[in-house]
Amino acid sequence: MTAVIETEQLTKFYGTHRGIVEVDLAVNEGEVFGFLGPNGAGKTTTIRLLLDLIRPTSGRARLFGIETTADPVAIHRRIGYLPGEFTLYDRLTGGQTLAYFAALRGGVDPRYQASLVERFDLDPDRRFREYSKGNKQKVGLLVALQHRPDLLLLDEPTAGLDPLVQRTFFAILRERVAEGGTVFLSSHILSEVEKSCDRVAIIRDGRLARLDRVDALRDLAHHEVELRFAGPVPAEAFTGLPGVSDVAAADGVLRLRVAGAIAPVVQAAARYELLDFVSREPSLEETFLAEYGGATAEAKQP
Amino acid sequence: MLLRNVFLKSLRDLRWPTFWTGLGLGILGFYFMWLFPTIGKMMDLQSILDAFPPALRALIGGQLIDLGSPAGFLNMELFPLMLPLILGGFAIGVASGATAGEEARGTLDVLLAEPLERWAVLTEKTVAIVLATIIVAAFLLVGVWGGAAFTGTDLALDKVVAGLVVGTLLALAFGGITLAIAAFTGSRATAIGITGALLVATYFINALAPMVESLNQIRGISPFFYYLGHDPLRNGLDLGDAAVLAVVAVVGFAVSLVGFERRDLAA
Repeated sequence: MTAVIETEQLTKFYGTHRGIVEVDLAVNEGEVFGFLGPNGAGKTTTIRLLLDLIRPTSGRARLFGIETTADPVAIHRRIGYLPGEFTLYDRLTGGQTLAYFAALRGGVDPRYQASLVERFDLDPDRRFREYSKGNKQKVGLLVALQHRPDLLLLDEPTAGLDPLVQRTFFAILRERVAEGGTVFLSSHILSEVEKSCDRVAIIRDGRLARLDRVDALRDLAHHEVELRFAGPVPAEAFTGLPGVSDVAAADGVLRLRVAGAIAPVVQAAARYELLDFVSREPSLEETFLAEYGGATAEAKQP
Repeated sequence: MLLRNVFLKSLRDLRWPTFWTGLGLGILGFYFMWLFPTIGKMMDLQSILDAFPPALRALIGGQLIDLGSPAGFLNMELFPLMLPLILGGFAIGVASGATAGEEARGTLDVLLAEPLERWAVLTEKTVAIVLATIIVAAFLLVGVWGGAAFTGTDLALDKVVAGLVVGTLLALAFGGITLAIAAFTGSRATAIGITGALLVATYFINALAPMVESLNQIRGISPFFYYLGHDPLRNGLDLGDAAVLAVVAVVGFAVSLVGFERRDLAA
């Protein structure tokens, strides 16, 4: 498979302020790649580095095999970009905005443009400043999509879109991918990434925390187990078990996290008078929050 | 139709500021030429002016004041202060908006993610700004000409054109400085503030130079020295002066290209 995006130790500092640190990732042709992290983690910095809007402090990034700082225009020809926070020209209508950006690319297929406007249900005759947040987002997405780019770089694409439009948007993304396109989208909403992406990179505090297939990430998720006993139970009976962590015992209630097989916990519990057993698999969102929460706890240590 | 490229889009964005500034300056030019026959005959006004302390005289036009001729009249009323302030202010204002304006509003990210070289975007915008500044100056020419024709004043139009050419170059010199600062800092307010202060300071250096020896020595650093220094309204265009101002404008633009190519753009 060909890598459409490839970064090597990509690092960006704004003065002494951290942007991203030594990010290595590769996005393959034809995949939908999710870039996940809380606000301020470095998602926007990464995307803007890929576009050469800002320059790396060290490391490099290549798109379509071209280094970003070497020939950004050649890269931009094949890209559709939606910034996270953007505005367009207040006094231009939606239709004029699309016409302008189409002209800057030497024209787009008018039928495809018209079909997108119709599917997003955008009134193209209103001025940009008169649009609601959601409609502004639609104009931004149309600017990114209308020339059928090989690679879509979308920073928080669903922000402000109502659920129906989000469905349209993801349907269009799937079509682009079916036609051979590649999508790199950032989000801080896990459920959205979980549904739409093949692989996910999680970024926190500017560093890549994890990069995996979405289903693999789900496998990595812990079970959160709550055991209720008739009387107090020694926590030590569970702490040594394989995959078990975060054991907390209080008044016959035992809470713990299990990664992998749950059978050893069940067997250990059977030796005591077990009243109730609750096990739940946390969503990717919770897994992610646990991951990130751990990081902040570490950061707090002196 | 006007949304075909960055140059035409920039002209489109500038059309109303250009029209209104031009109209204002044009009316002013007409008004002064319309006043001239009345004021020009008030010879005692000239003697009052002649009696002004040299410092005050210098501030309102120096040795160029001669209310008896239309050129002398324009040299006092319009060209020394009014024109640099309005035309220069216009050039500074629009030049500060070229990149820093889009950057501050947040439209620059989308624009520069298009397949466009940064230098090309800045160049197209700059050409639009130069054209708009020339159009504003042309409005003034039409106003002055109209006023002279209306009152039957005998005015050497070619000399007025010469004055407007250096006036436009003066404005573009300040515009070039604005572009450079805006491209490096990305801040519209910084660019306007520094260049505006520079305009005022260099105006006073030039105006007070005849009285203050220390200022006289550094008079050459003031763009205003190359503006009316050779009295274009009487003597026509001085190519050396025009070249100095043009070089300042071009260097400012070149510096802005370097700054804009290198810099991280604000999100």
